[in-house]
Amino acid sequence: MKRGLLSRWLLLGEWRAHFVQAIVVIIAIALGVALGFSIHLINTAAFNEFSAASKNLSGQSDLQVHGRQAMFDESLYPFLATYDGVELANPVLEFEVSVPGELIGRKDNKLKILATDMFRAAMISPDLLGMPAEGKPLDGLSDDAIFLSPAAMEWLQVKQGDLLPLNVGTQTMTLRVAGGLVRARAGQRIAVMDIGVAQWRFKHVGLLSRIELKLTPGIHRDTFKAALKQVLGDSYLVLEIADQEARVDHMSRAYRVNLNMLALVALFTGAFLVFSTQALSVIRRRHQFALLRVLGLTRQQLLRQILLEGATLGVVGSLLGLVSGYAIAAIALHFFGGDLGGGFFPGVKPSVYFSPLAAATFFIIGLGITLLGSAAPAWEAASARPAVALKSGSEDKALSKLSAPWPALICLSLALLFTQIPPIFELPVFGYLAIALLLIGGIALMPRFSAVVFSFLLKVMRRHITGAVSTLLLARLANAPNQASIALGGVLASFSLMVAMAIMVTSFRVSVDDWLEHVLPADLYVRAASVGDQGGFQLDEQKAMASLPGFTRVDFFRSLPFILEPTRPEITLIARPIDMTDPSNTLPMTDDMIAPVRLPKDVMPIWVSEAMVDLYGYTVGKRVTLPLGTAEQTFFVAGIWRDYGRQFGAVQMQLADYQTLSGDRSINTVAMWLQAGTTSAQAQTILRQLPFGDALEITPSGEIRALSLEIFDRSFAVTYLLEMVAVVIGLFGVAASFSAQTLARAKEFGMLRHIGMMRRQILILLAAEGGLLTALGVILGFILGWSLSLVLVFIVNPQSFHWTLQLHLPWGWLTLVAGIMLVSAALTALVAGRQAVSGHAVRAVREDW
Amino acid sequence: MLELRHINKAYADGRQVLSDLSYTLKAGEYVAIMGDSGVGKSTLLNLIAGLDLPDSGEILIDDVAISSMDDDAATRLRREAFGFVFQAFHVLPHLTLSQNIALPLLLNGLSTERVEHMLTDVGLPGRGHHFPRQLSGGELQRVAIARALIHRPKLVLADEPTGNLDPETAHEVLMLIRTEIKANGASGIIVTHSDAAAATADRVLVLARDGLHPAVAHQSA
Amino acid sequence: MRNSPCVDKFRRFVVTRMLVLLLSLMATGSVAEAPGFPLVVPDYKLTFPHDYGAHPGFRIEWWYVTGWLETADKKPLGFQVTFFRSATGHNPDNSSQFAPKQLIIAHVALSDPAVGKLMQEEKTARAGFDLVYAKEGNTDVKLDNWRFVREADGHYRVDMQARDFGLQLALTPTQMMLLQGDQGFSRKGPKPEQASYYYSEPHLSVSGAVFHQGKPVTVNGRAWLDHEWSSEILDPEAVGWDWVGASLDDGSALTAFQIRRKDGSRLWAYAALRDASGHVTLFKPEQVEFTPVRTWRSPHTDAVYPVAMRIRTDSTEWLLTPLLDDQELDSRRSTGAVYWEGAVTLTRDGESAGQGYLELTGYVAPLDL
Repeated sequence: MKRGLLSRWLLLGEWRAHFVQAIVVIIAIALGVALGFSIHLINTAAFNEFSAASKNLSGQSDLQVHGRQAMFDESLYPFLATYDGVELANPVLEFEVSVPGELIGRKDNKLKILATDMFRAAMISPDLLGMPAEGKPLDGLSDDAIFLSPAAMEWLQVKQGDLLPLNVGTQTMTLRVAGGLVRARAGQRIAVMDIGVAQWRFKHVGLLSRIELKLTPGIHRDTFKAALKQVLGDSYLVLEIADQEARVDHMSRAYRVNLNMLALVALFTGAFLVFSTQALSVIRRRHQFALLRVLGLTRQQLLRQILLEGATLGVVGSLLGLVSGYAIAAIALHFFGGDLGGGFFPGVKPSVYFSPLAAATFFIIGLGITLLGSAAPAWEAASARPAVALKSGSEDKALSKLSAPWPALICLSLALLFTQIPPIFELPVFGYLAIALLLIGGIALMPRFSAVVFSFLLKVMRRHITGAVSTLLLARLANAPNQASIALGGVLASFSLMVAMAIMVTSFRVSVDDWLEHVLPADLYVRAASVGDQGGFQLDEQKAMASLPGFTRVDFFRSLPFILEPTRPEITLIARPIDMTDPSNTLPMTDDMIAPVRLPKDVMPIWVSEAMVDLYGYTVGKRVTLPLGTAEQTFFVAGIWRDYGRQFGAVQMQLADYQTLSGDRSINTVAMWLQAGTTSAQAQTILRQLPFGDALEITPSGEIRALSLEIFDRSFAVTYLLEMVAVVIGLFGVAASFSAQTLARAKEFGMLRHIGMMRRQILILLAAEGGLLTALGVILGFILGWSLSLVLVFIVNPQSFHWTLQLHLPWGWLTLVAGIMLVSAALTALVAGRQAVSGHAVRAVREDW
Repeated sequence: MLELRHINKAYADGRQVLSDLSYTLKAGEYVAIMGDSGVGKSTLLNLIAGLDLPDSGEILIDDVAISSMDDDAATRLRREAFGFVFQAFHVLPHLTLSQNIALPLLLNGLSTERVEHMLTDVGLPGRGHHFPRQLSGGELQRVAIARALIHRPKLVLADEPTGNLDPETAHEVLMLIRTEIKANGASGIIVTHSDAAAATADRVLVLARDGLHPAVAHQSA
Repeated sequence: MRNSPCVDKFRRFVVTRMLVLLLSLMATGSVAEAPGFPLVVPDYKLTFPHDYGAHPGFRIEWWYVTGWLETADKKPLGFQVTFFRSATGHNPDNSSQFAPKQLIIAHVALSDPAVGKLMQEEKTARAGFDLVYAKEGNTDVKLDNWRFVREADGHYRVDMQARDFGLQLALTPTQMMLLQGDQGFSRKGPKPEQASYYYSEPHLSVSGAVFHQGKPVTVNGRAWLDHEWSSEILDPEAVGWDWVGASLDDGSALTAFQIRRKDGSRLWAYAALRDASGHVTLFKPEQVEFTPVRTWRSPHTDAVYPVAMRIRTDSTEWLLTPLLDDQELDSRRSTGAVYWEGAVTLTRDGESAGQGYLELTGYVAPLDL
């Protein structure tokens, strides 16, 4: 086809002439696709592995019966084992113990122990059986045997036959590593031991975590499940694998979605870059296209030609992105594991799995965004009247079509509207849409904004302007705003996102820091490994600690996990002394609370975290029931407090109330205030001298704070990285469009050189143009970013993680980034301007295109 | 006022364009240079404007050798003493007509009072706030002429100023160039292929391989 | 099933311990490791009903019922019911109800010539929670829904439902119980401590139902019960034994076993014949001789069993012919135990004598662990 040939010539000609720009577009798209794809792959791999690992732990059971709390009385076991329709009941005791030694005090020094009856478990979860040494077939029943997964052995640095000390309450106990497991997933740190041994050695006698049921063939599971629920009542949960999957999904969904969104931001920035590059390239070739139109190319052919250009770049960029995304994911998973610092997928070592569907999706997103970026310029070029287009000076007019204010205003108003819409599937879908619309609207308004600002400047400064450079500068910025500011699309997008993220993260960090200060008022926090569903400290130990010298105040905390709804992760119940004159003295309360004096007297008050309101509808003033102790108990929601530690919900109540209801006198944590004159080290020595001193985890509050903030920073490291990439893509875009424009303006600079403008003056002109534009972009980007951060802080965060933050602006950091942007934009303009003052440009006045 | 002494210039590919060219232009004189394509007319103009350097020989403007100046000095001389009219007009699209015309004044740090007057002179009174896209080709070239003369240069260089214009407009523009050069007491060089254009000059020279020669006088009606 | 061969192998490995367990419990050498198990002594006098019940202090104990059944349409069936009890020597201080102090292992098998092979199922569990136990005082053993109990009137009840078949039988004694060996002290090897307490209930009259795929078939027949307990039975050299118990048509009961070394030679032998009048003839080891007549190679395990056997007790020759060849209990996929336990017909000196059960252990090639 002759036309195909022409199309090819045009394509190749354009790319040969503007190789760098084509490369920049490809890189931008590839980077965006690669980031999105790799994050998706990593998250999916980690999630699948995590969920497979937790499924692995529950074997091939049809149903599982759990208590509301971590453990329940074993008397349910014989009941279920003989229950009609149950073929096999597999009792499981699952708990975590802390490993003494170097790992103490770390968040991750917990070893999960799965205690089963191997004769039952063999029928339901054959993978999770211990493999004793050859010739010692009954070692699994020995009273000191523990079996470790390979990952656990590696982590604890032990092998078969070694002794392994573990903490139980305030004591240390030593078990013998009797062997490995039949099969554990890579990275899964678990231990298996006999249920009878575990109950006894770990002081969990009489307790189970769950009972897994295999139903007699022919029993209808759903009917059976419903009937069993009726029989067991509210204190037990009957779950199936699907419930478990839902729970695992709930645990990390918000995190995964938010991270994916951030990855898409990079792609989004890429889209603006494609748009600006394509728009400029179309503008540059206006004469050429007009000529082609005059020569007989139809409107559609031209449109197709430009879209084909975009599509080709999109295809190449997307494919490149898929390949590198896969590589990044594989490398990241290999070296860092699946947990991207968020802490949602601990102890999982997934391997990357190529999903054709995801690849296709990201390919389409990449290509779609490129086409979207090319569509508007293509349409403009195709619809331009050739006669008008052939005339020079009409370029900016052409672009002004793209900057009609109403689409931008529609975007902005829609964005405002979307901020008012509640989440869907507990995800801030509309929050993110609002962010996208704010960005599009804000960027679309940029040319108009710069025209207004610079015209105003020009008018105001007219009297004072005497130099040619300043006249040229302001006149161009005011009168050709579209061309000038189109370069800024990408950088504006990335800068405003960066500002938004920075504000969000700072708000989050400051809020967390304040919160930590509030929730950690004591000087020392002392914990002991829990014993069964009992806290690690029993009454006499509590007494011993309360009567120690050197402390002004000692508070006891009892906290325990608690399942309210089967498909949701556990909530945390915290019982502690709460100041009834003003709960804000104890808890980081929001304004939403009822004064203690006005609380009803007939019902015990609880104070709930924000997540409880979102997830369970526990609003202030409501009476709710919690299955605590032996019966359902009604409580009164007395207030809402902020909790950045537990996104799945937490409830606080008076320790005395809890003890009355449950009869449980044990506690997990002791908060201790030092007497004036006692140092933290002295206090720790005093504590260590207790008979059970060796098994205590003593942490000064400062250390907890530091550790918490460290974890916080680690979990946002990926976010920073993504934002940096977005900004780099944005700067790429600035460089590409500045150099493109400088090339396009060769004649202008040539003429200026003719009539006596110095090289220096032209360079100054260019740098000032770049600097001023960027300054304006930074201002607008800041305003835009600030608005985006409002959406992030007040909509996305509460909807995803169920906590509210207070807004804090990182001025220093923002100024630094703004400065870097200004300097790099001006430098970019300067580098691009070198071409403008070269001899070629001087002669350009004599050449037509 | 302009003196060319034994100018030699070869293209980058080694092809000799100008060899041992010498010529003297008197103050107030307006000459047309004609010649075949590729003979070096534009190169000659670039050399005169100090935008390019001769391989050998000297170019003196009022006895000052522009060919031995550094770029800044040559630029300064150019902005004060020269005016340019191009075939493709090169009027900046984002500046108003007044701003375009005022550019040389601004570059020379002079008052811009004369702009309105100049606009009237080139036949565009009261249109100073217009943008170039609102103008026809002939009108654009009038703006360019105004810009070339606004700062009263000693020498106006015009390179095919009517190449993009229809004959009628071309004639008006040529007459305007001549009028304005004369009115401002400047000297002028116009490079052209057109006999009609050349005819508006005081003298017509032909650039050939062996130098610059007066054209064989032929009067056309 | 989604189990890969690898997992199967591991599972086999894990549960193969059961067989090894049985053998190791019967073998010497381990008592010293976990002291506290009582020894079997010659002068102990068995008392009933106490000794019908379990003896949890002893390391190992079993109730073993084998018998012939006949359906209404005269089709012959063989059945076998076994309950093992094994004390693990687990720390007695362990207060957990799950403490694995006693394990119960049960087998049920049905030989149906119409099916052509043994139908069988095994279970293992730790005693506890009233779900699984072996009670003292009278025979009462339970493993989930499998039950073997001696009622007050002296008859036994078997209730065992497996996946594709089941037994619901009443076993009524028609004769006195038979104390094996020296008044229930039964030697199993050259050393005096290699012994067990052992009594049998031959000529149990059986009535009840056999279940095929959930459908009951009324059956009648004759069965043999062995109850044996010990802490240490086998000589370290022993690899297996051949055992026969037969309730003969004339009312007499034959018990014979030999314990073999690895090379097939005899380590120990025993035989007792009680005639209908109750007179017991005990044979010395050297008077007892087992001679394979025909072997059968198991297609499942490759083990070669002498399924037809000639047994000489002093001057009498018994010929044992299997009801069907494939009566191998191949439970490597579950408990791992592999032995042949089959219904046989007997002739005495060439004349039809009756029916019995033959047990052949230790013939499978050593497991590749």
